[in-house]
Amino acid sequence: MASVKDLRDRIRSLKNTQQITKAMKQVAAAKIRRAEAAQKQARPYADALGEMLQDLIATASRIDNPFMNPGKAGAPSGVILMTSDKGLAGAFNSNVIREAERYRQQQSGAHLYTVGIKARNAVRRWGLGDRPAWPLNAPSKLQTAHEVARQVAADFTSGEIGDITLISSKHVSMMSQRPEVRRLVPIERKTAAPKQKGPRGWVEIPPSAEFVLSKLLPKYLEFTIFSAMLETDAAFYAAQLLAMNNATENAGKLIDELTIAMNNARQAAITKELLEIVSGAEALTGT
Amino acid sequence: MTVPFKLVSPAKLIFEGEAELVIAVTTEGEEGILPRHAPFLAALKPGLLRANIVENGASRRLELATGDGFMQALPDRVTVLVDRAVTFEEVDVAQTRAELAEASDPAAAAFARAKLQLTGHH
Repeated sequence: MASVKDLRDRIRSLKNTQQITKAMKQVAAAKIRRAEAAQKQARPYADALGEMLQDLIATASRIDNPFMNPGKAGAPSGVILMTSDKGLAGAFNSNVIREAERYRQQQSGAHLYTVGIKARNAVRRWGLGDRPAWPLNAPSKLQTAHEVARQVAADFTSGEIGDITLISSKHVSMMSQRPEVRRLVPIERKTAAPKQKGPRGWVEIPPSAEFVLSKLLPKYLEFTIFSAMLETDAAFYAAQLLAMNNATENAGKLIDELTIAMNNARQAAITKELLEIVSGAEALTGT
Repeated sequence: MTVPFKLVSPAKLIFEGEAELVIAVTTEGEEGILPRHAPFLAALKPGLLRANIVENGASRRLELATGDGFMQALPDRVTVLVDRAVTFEEVDVAQTRAELAEASDPAAAAFARAKLQLTGHH
């Protein structure tokens, strides 16, 4: 049985751990609010962009944009793997990474692009060498999204990759985050134009619908990556909040158990000492 | 007469309100939109976005330097999407000149020129 001193030391160290996890939980709670606010701020843009795309596709008589046609046959799938930069969020990152591994096996190989330091490390562990990598939390997420989109779009048009697929976390709720695999390019007509409210009739699109579409589709790709980054951010802090909450609770439980063990040990020592004294006295008076 | 006008960037909703006139630089040149314009959709280049907006019954001029974007006009509303937008107060002329000198990306250079144009330093 551990001595009282050992137990006391363990309790003290657990209390320190608990304080750290509690602080991290509070920080995560504050940051998730900010991340969700950023997501909300991006919504008007998303709505307007979707609507314009819908109008364009409805108007264009014939769409011959590389982003809407199947990629080069036989070219590997291009995967953007997106995780957070930091850990301490339970299985948040490993879930996404496992999903990517599964996808890679299904496709028998894929070209990877990583956003987030954890994703970059995972790809290095797979022995794929240095693939293009960006951190999730750069000073400007928009700039990062722009660079990622430009790189994958260039590789897609040059035929190095046959499609563009995004694997990232979906922020389902505060309690649940789930990895999600999304095909970004080629864009399906259906996903691009979900609800057609009927044609608006004649729309003036200078110089041509084709041209504006060729500008809009890369922007659409860029913005989708940007909003996935915002979502990963929010989901990460939610996962971290949950993980730190559990850690704090577990530390509390352990502290309770150890405190009882320590009290027992202390009481046992006192009882033992008393017994020794009493039996010593008995021995003296008895004879 | 006014038309509901919305100016948004991915980071935020920059302006939402009523406008009498919206002028933006499309890839084909400047385009002015008045209320009840026929359906129109164009890509924008970095440049100046100007609008006469009406706030609390008073007309005011809105002027911004904007990056790449799109403008959609419908008879009942005008929507402008831009990568980024800055007002006159937000432009640091010396810094922008440096940006322009260093810019390798033509879009970044064009945006820097638009910012200088906004301050009248081009």
